[in-house]
Amino acid sequence: MGILTRAIRNISRRKARALLLIVVLSLALAIIISLPPTIIANQQGNQEIINEILRGIQESSESLNLTATQIDCKLGLQFLYNQGPYKNVTMMVTPFLNISDYANLTSIPEIADVIPILSYWLPDEENYYFNVTYNGYTYVDFMYIEGIPLEASYIERFPSILPTNDWTLTAGENITAGRNLEAGDHGVVVLTEVAAYYFNASVGDTINLLEHNFTVVGIQGVGRSTLPFAVYMNLEDAQTITNTTGQALKLVVFADNVENVDTVENKIKEQYPELEVQTNKAMINAALENKEYWEKKLQNTQASLDNLKNTAIMQIGIVVAAQVAIILLIMLYSVRERTREIGTLKAMGASNKMILGQFMLEGTLLSFIAGVVGIAIGTVGASTLGNLLLPRLHRYGVDYIVTAEGQEVAVPLAITITPELILAGLGIAVLLGVLGSLYPAWRAAKIRPAEAMRHE
Amino acid sequence: MNEPVLKIENLTKTFTLGKRKIQPLTGLDLEVKRGEFTAIMGPSGSGKTTLLNLIGCLDKPTDGKIVIDNMDIARLPESQLCKIRRDKIGFIFQNFNLLPYLNARENVELAMELAGKFKEQRKQRAKDLLATVGLSGREQHRPQHLSQGEQQRVAIARALANDPAIILADEPTGNLDAANKQEIVKLLAELNQKQGATILMVTHDEKVAAHTRRMLFLKDGKIIDEKQGSKNGSF
Repeated sequence: MGILTRAIRNISRRKARALLLIVVLSLALAIIISLPPTIIANQQGNQEIINEILRGIQESSESLNLTATQIDCKLGLQFLYNQGPYKNVTMMVTPFLNISDYANLTSIPEIADVIPILSYWLPDEENYYFNVTYNGYTYVDFMYIEGIPLEASYIERFPSILPTNDWTLTAGENITAGRNLEAGDHGVVVLTEVAAYYFNASVGDTINLLEHNFTVVGIQGVGRSTLPFAVYMNLEDAQTITNTTGQALKLVVFADNVENVDTVENKIKEQYPELEVQTNKAMINAALENKEYWEKKLQNTQASLDNLKNTAIMQIGIVVAAQVAIILLIMLYSVRERTREIGTLKAMGASNKMILGQFMLEGTLLSFIAGVVGIAIGTVGASTLGNLLLPRLHRYGVDYIVTAEGQEVAVPLAITITPELILAGLGIAVLLGVLGSLYPAWRAAKIRPAEAMRHE
Repeated sequence: MNEPVLKIENLTKTFTLGKRKIQPLTGLDLEVKRGEFTAIMGPSGSGKTTLLNLIGCLDKPTDGKIVIDNMDIARLPESQLCKIRRDKIGFIFQNFNLLPYLNARENVELAMELAGKFKEQRKQRAKDLLATVGLSGREQHRPQHLSQGEQQRVAIARALANDPAIILADEPTGNLDAANKQEIVKLLAELNQKQGATILMVTHDEKVAAHTRRMLFLKDGKIIDEKQGSKNGSF
């Protein structure tokens, strides 16, 4: 008949009270062990969102660097006779510029690089316009020849100069067959699908353009192109076949960073008033807004998570306090109710320590039993409890994540009760039992035997 | 046999109730010899229970000396008093004060458990003691399943458990009917005569007191009279 057996018998003496207490305490314990994994699950859910957001910010920065620092410089439109492909007519066109005239552009410190691009519109010899029906659509336009300086240093730093018909796509992504142009390419071309159809050429075939042979290395998808008959090639090749050696239609100037675009624009205008300078201001603004948007989203997500954590901590605090208070009150009541019994034990020679131990063991045992039940409840119902007690983080939180495509995808709250958590739960139960019964047990131990015996 | 188990000199107890002071014991002297069966009688408020509480180390005296088995207990700290209660004193209460969640044997055993006796030893002794008080075969019954007389017998067996120097019985028949009253007081007298137990009993019932060999009369906190009976306990 040890102290433990006596504690168990004392608890079972008041079955209804013990049961009620265990139910209340076990619910409290279930809440205590449900909240941390809910937070962890939330954190994991949020991590996915945060990763998504960080990816968004990085992409924004990349697209900013790729295109927003780009400044196009051309000569103004002029009425010209016999200019380029337009034989024997006077037309309002953008004249070619001599690249060497603008060699001093690179002396502007905020300019990272100047890349000449040749754009040449070639009419059909017989019908003026090329006319092709492809995939149910009829395309009527000049042939567009673009010459790009295929130097490794340019391509690595400014991949956006490669053939691409959609600035939101990374250069080369819209190549549907073969490959994009590469540094050092000569005698090769990338064709749009419509142009490839016109030449009846696929990757590896040879086409003849302005009496020069080119090997087709890649086909560019239709995409949103406004240039159906486009042929991309090395700048020198383009200059050779169009007799424009040393010339370009535009100079693509890259500022060293987005903030310096305005400065560069002003300096170019000042130095070369004949140039029409066009920046990607709208794009810059869009990219900046985009970046801001993602950064704000990140802040919101983190704030939501912090808020969630604080709520959980507060709830755990309340539950812990309530649990200690319940044990305290019940044990105080028990001490009061059993005062005579304490007196009898003391009369029989029980020491204060023994009385203290007896009551603390009873309180702790109750809390421990409640802990076991609470863990069982928590294991089964952690998800329900977690969702019930914590605010739902729509969009940026637990329930949904927003993918790169802008779709909301439901993310189930993956709450797992780990063995460590179970052990911690039992530890907490014991600790709260000890805390809650300490004062009542001390009171019991301090009762003077003569008074206890008089107690009715 | 003539050696005193209990010696009290000039025992005083004062309670303070607000501004009022109550003095149930006013310089009481008493000596109880080993093997004596003594009854303390007196009207209500004469200080009987206070005296028993002080001897039983349940309360501390205001002044005076209480020597049990040659040890002055009047000024001992609580940590020592609980050992005196455990080893030197056996209590029998009017309300039996059995622990309701323990059966008869366990109630008797608990006293020995507190004294650190081994399980087998205390189990056997509890059984023997219950047999001595006439409760053979009732060992497994919890108090609520025993008659009042039987409950008091368990309490008597419990009081004997650690072979105390003195048994203090506070109105042990106070809650019993006439038949049980006789039985219990006879049992106490028998224990005194056959086993030599020293018993100090507080009662206001003369018929009960008549079974003892010595009657002390308490009034206003002092012993005012004493009667000695014959060896078989009759006056």
